[in-house]
Amino acid sequence: MLALLLAGTAAAGERRAVGPSEFVSVLPTGTKAPAVHVERFLMDSRPVTNAEFLAFVAAHPQWRRGSIAKLFADGDYLSHWAGAETLGASALPQQPVTRVSWYAARAYCEASGARLPSWYEWELAAAADESVPDARHDAQWQARILDWYAQPLHALPASGSGPANFYGLRDLHGLVWEWVEDFNALIVSGDSREQGDPDRLRFCGAGALSLRDRENYAVLMRVAFLSSLEARSTAHSLGFRCAAQAPP
Amino acid sequence: MSGRIRIGLLLAAVALVPVLHAHEPATQAAPPALPGDSLYQLDVMLQGADGVSFPLAQLRGRPLLVTMFYGHCSAVCPMLTAQVQRLVGTLSVAQRRQLRVLMVSFDSALDTPQALREFQAEHHIHDPNWITARAGAADVRALAAALGIQYRELPDHTFNHSTLISVADREGTVRARTSELNGADPPFMAAVRAQLAPRPRSVAP
Repeated sequence: MLALLLAGTAAAGERRAVGPSEFVSVLPTGTKAPAVHVERFLMDSRPVTNAEFLAFVAAHPQWRRGSIAKLFADGDYLSHWAGAETLGASALPQQPVTRVSWYAARAYCEASGARLPSWYEWELAAAADESVPDARHDAQWQARILDWYAQPLHALPASGSGPANFYGLRDLHGLVWEWVEDFNALIVSGDSREQGDPDRLRFCGAGALSLRDRENYAVLMRVAFLSSLEARSTAHSLGFRCAAQAPP
Repeated sequence: MSGRIRIGLLLAAVALVPVLHAHEPATQAAPPALPGDSLYQLDVMLQGADGVSFPLAQLRGRPLLVTMFYGHCSAVCPMLTAQVQRLVGTLSVAQRRQLRVLMVSFDSALDTPQALREFQAEHHIHDPNWITARAGAADVRALAAALGIQYRELPDHTFNHSTLISVADREGTVRARTSELNGADPPFMAAVRAQLAPRPRSVAP
């Protein structure tokens, strides 16, 4: 079991460079130019593990289960851990940490001198397969990702056990959902309501995303999921990784 | 200045202790001075139209009507501002004096204190209890997240955002939210008035 957990996992703290890129996101820009500029950035090669998050809460007790302010996490925060500072059988050290809120994920990254990736950064990094930076139009690759979404979730594999993509990043697909800094920027409009007045009023300006008739379904599922969350939400399959500015 | 404010906060906290005890569940041995779900848990710095920076938590002690906007918004924001004015306008002068209104900009680059002053003048906002402010990008994100407000900057530097007005009690716990942009919004104003009721307040959430 231990060998299985350790096989192929990336070393802790390893960050890989991505970009710069003129990137066409699934999010509409609201203008005629479809691409957005994404600066070069660094990204953790795999999601943050239980062991790493445990070290964080030990050093920052205000983020411990039981101590965290209600504004920052719901009642299921780290509820699969055996105790406030004990992982236990349901949270193995090398598994990705889940049931963490956006505020907690953000605080973790901040404490390590980093930040959460933006949605554009995450989407850019996740567009790569093992050999090319943008595999989004590869039907086989799409099918492989969608296959993961169709699998029932059992015990989570170790973080970093998936194959490295073009940038050397692992598990962007196939392991857990991941928080992004601007999760509350993913404004999704309902299908038919988009043309009606209520949405026009609810959302000021252009750029609300319609989930219909889109090619990149797997990424759109991410958007739909993230847009349904509150900052204090936690979920069994929701973790995170950090990003940082690339050195000049 | 900040020393005086801190002492003021301390006095306010001491004054509130009996009230807090009356409302805390009995199971909690040592209730924290600030409720766990208070907006004032956020470590967010604001800069007002007068250029002075202050922590969000400094607004503790009075009910707060809070929303987010940006100054050069030509779509829904003028309606949002007008709606806040309409809501506040339904209160008596005495009630208005108890309340603070806070509008925080999404656009820390363009909504400088100067721009905020111009925005206030344009909308005839002269009430000293009405605060317009900007904050750094990370703080704007954290506050919007706590208020349940979604926003995204588009490449043309406009912001796509949801319009949500919240009312928080004296301790910063959000008691009601509305996305209504028309009319008197009686359910929301009932929640606002509940926060303004003369002390001791005993309002169920």
